[in-house]
Amino acid sequence: MAYAAPHTQPLETSTGVDNRKLLMWLFLGSEALFFGSLISAYLLYRNRNLTGPFPRELYDIPFTSVSSFILLMSSVSMVLALAAIQRGDIRRMRIWLVCTALLGILFLSGQAYEFTGFYDRGLSLRTNLFGSTFFVLTGFHGAHVSIGVIILLSVWVRSLQGKIKQSDSLTIELIGLYWHFVDIVWIVIFTLVYLLTGR
Amino acid sequence: MKDFFENPALLIGAPLLVVGLAGAMIAILASFAPEQRSLEPAGLGLGPGKAPPGGQAHGGPSAAEYVNIGLVLAAITGLEVGVYYVTALGNILVPVLIALAATKFILVVLFFMHLKFDNRLFSTMFTAGLVLAFAVFTVVLVTLGASIT
Repeated sequence: MAYAAPHTQPLETSTGVDNRKLLMWLFLGSEALFFGSLISAYLLYRNRNLTGPFPRELYDIPFTSVSSFILLMSSVSMVLALAAIQRGDIRRMRIWLVCTALLGILFLSGQAYEFTGFYDRGLSLRTNLFGSTFFVLTGFHGAHVSIGVIILLSVWVRSLQGKIKQSDSLTIELIGLYWHFVDIVWIVIFTLVYLLTGR
Repeated sequence: MKDFFENPALLIGAPLLVVGLAGAMIAILASFAPEQRSLEPAGLGLGPGKAPPGGQAHGGPSAAEYVNIGLVLAAITGLEVGVYYVTALGNILVPVLIALAATKFILVVLFFMHLKFDNRLFSTMFTAGLVLAFAVFTVVLVTLGASIT
């Protein structure tokens, strides 16, 4: 992989750190603003509905708790994939990568089930302000998870082709940073959107 | 006791509360553990706490420690859901839930995303985005009269 120089070598950049990693952190900082705007819109508009259904009529907290648990565990498997490649254990890295992708798919399945249930009970993107802001916020989060799953499966396939080596651990680390960010966004959404406003 | 088994909120909430409190106790006890291990990728040849050239620090928890952190995160999630069903908490529910979420957020960022062990420049970039987002949207929400409950 020509783009993944071994990060054990000295880096001759103006900042002294790898530019790809710096760019990823900058991107995550900007994503904080992106999700901040969507969460704020939800908090602002969810109580300004003229018609139902309303949050507390729809939320199933035990179900969403299980989804949150699944996403948290996917973060654990992601970090174990990174630890494995840093040790040079490519086989275990593959196992943990595919575990992370499967847990991500499980989370997305739960989200699809939840969205379908809400729609069947009368909530759509156009029903009221709660519906609009809820579906846009959680939908964008789901899109981020989907992108993460695609990236994870792509890297997994490349590793099966023998194109991922220990020297590519920075690639896995960058994917991990993205995946953990998606997880921390869900930590905020679960608390502010589900627990605090669903009671 | 009969009411307990007929109340789905208590049936779900009470076990989660117990699991969460147990997890929180484990987390507190673990934080007093004296040994602080540091792993590095094979072949780097650096001592604990020393960053490789280029500021790419990779010392950090071992695989077992990652799993322990994951268990603590799961326990805090259980605690959150348990607390959610405790109606007696009343007005302190909001700060309690926010504190628990903040704890999970910080654990993931520090240990899974390695900000605790990595170059400070990365922390600065990320924190700048977070602080800016928090400041801007707090002003927006307060100005427009939103509430989080």
